[in-house]
Amino acid sequence: MSMQRGSFLLGAFSGIAVVANADHLFARALAAAPLSGLPGAENRTLVLVNLQGGNDGLNCVVPHGNAAYYRVRPQLAIARSEVLAIDAQMGFNPNMRALKALYDKGQVAVVQGVGYPDPDHSHFRSTEIWQTAAPDKYLHTGWLGRYMDEAGLPADNLFNGVAISQVLPEAMIGTTVDVPAIPQERGYGLVSDRDAQTKGAYTRVVRDGRLPFKSPYLSHVMEIADHSQRGSEELPKLIAGYKPAGAYPATPLGRSLSLAAQIVGSKLGTKVIYVQHGSFDTHVSQLQTQNRLLAEFSDAIAAFYGDLAAHGNDGGVLTMTFSEFGRRIEENGSRGTDHGEASPLFLIGGGVKGGLYGTAPDLARTSIGNVAYSTDFRSVYATVLEKWLGRPSQKILSGAFPTLSVLG
Amino acid sequence: MANVDVAGIHRPDGRLDAATALRPYKGPWDERRAAHLLRRAGFGGSPADVKRLASGGVSAAVGSLVDFPSTSSLPPPANVYDPIGHVRQMLGGRAPGMLGDDDKRRLGKMVRKEERASVLSLQSWWLDRMLVSPAPLQEKMTLYFHGHFTTAAVQKGVSPPMVLAQNQLFRDNALGNLRELTRKVSKDPAMLLYLDNSLNVASHPNENYARELMELFTLGVDHYTEQDVRESARAWSGWQVLRRDGVARFVPGRHDGGTKTFLGRTGAWTGDDIVDIIFDQPQAATFFAGSLLNFFVYNDPEPELVDAVAALVRKNDFELAPVVSTLLRSDVFYSDRAYRALVKSPVEFVVGTHKALGLAQIDDSARRALAAMGQVLFYPPNVAGWPGGQNWITSQMMLARQNFVAGLVTSQAMADSTWMNALPLQARTAANDLVAAILQGDASPLATAQLVAYLNGEGESALGMLSGENRDERVRGAAYLTMAMPAFQLA
Repeated sequence: MSMQRGSFLLGAFSGIAVVANADHLFARALAAAPLSGLPGAENRTLVLVNLQGGNDGLNCVVPHGNAAYYRVRPQLAIARSEVLAIDAQMGFNPNMRALKALYDKGQVAVVQGVGYPDPDHSHFRSTEIWQTAAPDKYLHTGWLGRYMDEAGLPADNLFNGVAISQVLPEAMIGTTVDVPAIPQERGYGLVSDRDAQTKGAYTRVVRDGRLPFKSPYLSHVMEIADHSQRGSEELPKLIAGYKPAGAYPATPLGRSLSLAAQIVGSKLGTKVIYVQHGSFDTHVSQLQTQNRLLAEFSDAIAAFYGDLAAHGNDGGVLTMTFSEFGRRIEENGSRGTDHGEASPLFLIGGGVKGGLYGTAPDLARTSIGNVAYSTDFRSVYATVLEKWLGRPSQKILSGAFPTLSVLG
Repeated sequence: MANVDVAGIHRPDGRLDAATALRPYKGPWDERRAAHLLRRAGFGGSPADVKRLASGGVSAAVGSLVDFPSTSSLPPPANVYDPIGHVRQMLGGRAPGMLGDDDKRRLGKMVRKEERASVLSLQSWWLDRMLVSPAPLQEKMTLYFHGHFTTAAVQKGVSPPMVLAQNQLFRDNALGNLRELTRKVSKDPAMLLYLDNSLNVASHPNENYARELMELFTLGVDHYTEQDVRESARAWSGWQVLRRDGVARFVPGRHDGGTKTFLGRTGAWTGDDIVDIIFDQPQAATFFAGSLLNFFVYNDPEPELVDAVAALVRKNDFELAPVVSTLLRSDVFYSDRAYRALVKSPVEFVVGTHKALGLAQIDDSARRALAAMGQVLFYPPNVAGWPGGQNWITSQMMLARQNFVAGLVTSQAMADSTWMNALPLQARTAANDLVAAILQGDASPLATAQLVAYLNGEGESALGMLSGENRDERVRGAAYLTMAMPAFQLA
């Protein structure tokens, strides 16, 4: 078979052209950004970092002043001399030097003992609980999806939320807002768009819904075909003008946060960015795995805030971590830890009043050997929704949860 | 897919007629329905496959898939990398402890590299097997079990030969007994390592396997207590896979022989007893009924339908062949509500595209494309398997699907697509043939008209009517557009 000139087929694997173009359809959407009721909230972004797999809280924010910690963790305890002490009781894992430096500058809040009542120990279900913010029922939407639905974000902005991941996380699933899941910028586009005739025909055939069958997935398939073509065409143009300040670590999280900074700096009106990091499921040989992951996290966050600050964007970006659960207090026989309950989370950057919040883990008062929760994760969500994104939280969270004083 | 209510999983509109749902389907039998059966019970088919299946009746068609021929003529791949033999050879009689730290690290690195390469060749082998096997339902069930009893390769010491052995276990039990398979997979070396049951000792119980066995494999959440998990872990203690030979064995000294109370029954239970007690729960049949309906018929099936299939599962004592056979012959399976009601998984999409085009081999670029679409064989994302439904179609995954098809239709492989190369040089007929062969007519009149215009070069390029001069390019482009249409994403 011979190939003809002029076909998209010839360019199939030569990558996607990136053209800087300031004149884009999103300018309209940005001008129409909704009032949030909280001064300045319209220019704010929340970055959610999922520490996937169940991050061991005790070896992350270490209770180095508690002798019980050293008793229950004969193999795994972090030596007191190595801990980056916050105070006489608590301190950071020594692999998080860069995060500790941000903490010392007042830019990191540590909320201890975050969890929920009657905790579930399965990754799957507990992740779902955190993502949907619903411990006692099954929901098809996520808490940030419901936020985006509720906030009246411009329907023609394809980037109200961006998940930097392969699979769209449940937290970002709403009923009206569609969030693109973008694993990375490179290769994000349709090769057939290189040929004008094929591009035009594609646009028309994927959007025509007068089909001789019904399917519960048909509208979704057509919507995503449309969004992905338009979004992938626009995104590279929209972010091409941004140059990162400083190098990011060459890790998946480093690349994700670099793209996040680029999206923030390009002012696309993005309210929520979701990134993933892991796996923290350390049933075996925990020290090696968790220490590496915590170092990667700490270094990538430092590069991210350095980049944001160099562009004057650091005040507008709040980063929040979460993990589906902490781990068992007592180590297991495989130099690891099994699924646990409450664990600390971090709030970093814009608007944060740095410091240590919540109750330090009580290693004696436990439910089946786990750290009991002292702060409901929905209180943290309520705080972020009301005090950062400027939206009422009660409807989104199906209940009233007291906010914390961690944000301005 | 996990048998729990997850986001992005949708039931079709309309009402179920529970009374007639499982009755044998007696309606018309045609290519559209034959293709539906092939997509669900296999990976789709070429236009010739569809015609052949449509020429008999529904019973003969289902029979040919369920009573599948022996596939002993398709051997497993030779030269699967075995790290155990390799390490033994590298040690040359020395104990591993005699290696220095640097040597150990170097050896470990080399082994992992070889293992990953070997798993890649296993992926290629399995994809090709899905494409060419005369027993597509056997491969489909193997894929079902891979997503159900998840195990990921390379990590935790799961070696390529173990991956292959587990894959063959699923294939050998494709339409066998679910209780038996659950017993076997519990003692499968890959599973023992992946879910840490190999580390489960009486003195230090490890609950990982005990929990997932009930939550994800047999009962679902909320059908057991935390106490049941702990008791099951005690019963499952003692199983071990040693690094030196990779064989699963029961070590009595590591087993907790004491009395356990599990799901309300008290005794000195072993792992096998645990499986029996689990399968005595009415919920086990309900769980598998829901899972099979989700896989074969439609997502989020009504409780009445689940109950009807659960009764069938119990009546057949967990034998799969009669259950799957009844499902594939049933009214509900051929209902409008079930038609195109599932999203093709990436593997179904890739293998199905090759089938539709009539290609005989899947090359490495397809394997790489699968990663971008979100499904890598032998590397499920987590122990719950792939989420499925709407979750298969994110913006990025949609682009990956379309770009994969664009790559395939431009490749040399298309020389083997005999039916496409025989399309007439008349644009309207060619467009109709493409829509019939690839989508069984499931395109809108407007979309078909777009294909005609495209084949005739109308619009921006205005290169003239479809002709022998331009047919390769035009037909390939039109085939791409046909496969870009919404119906092609749906099974």
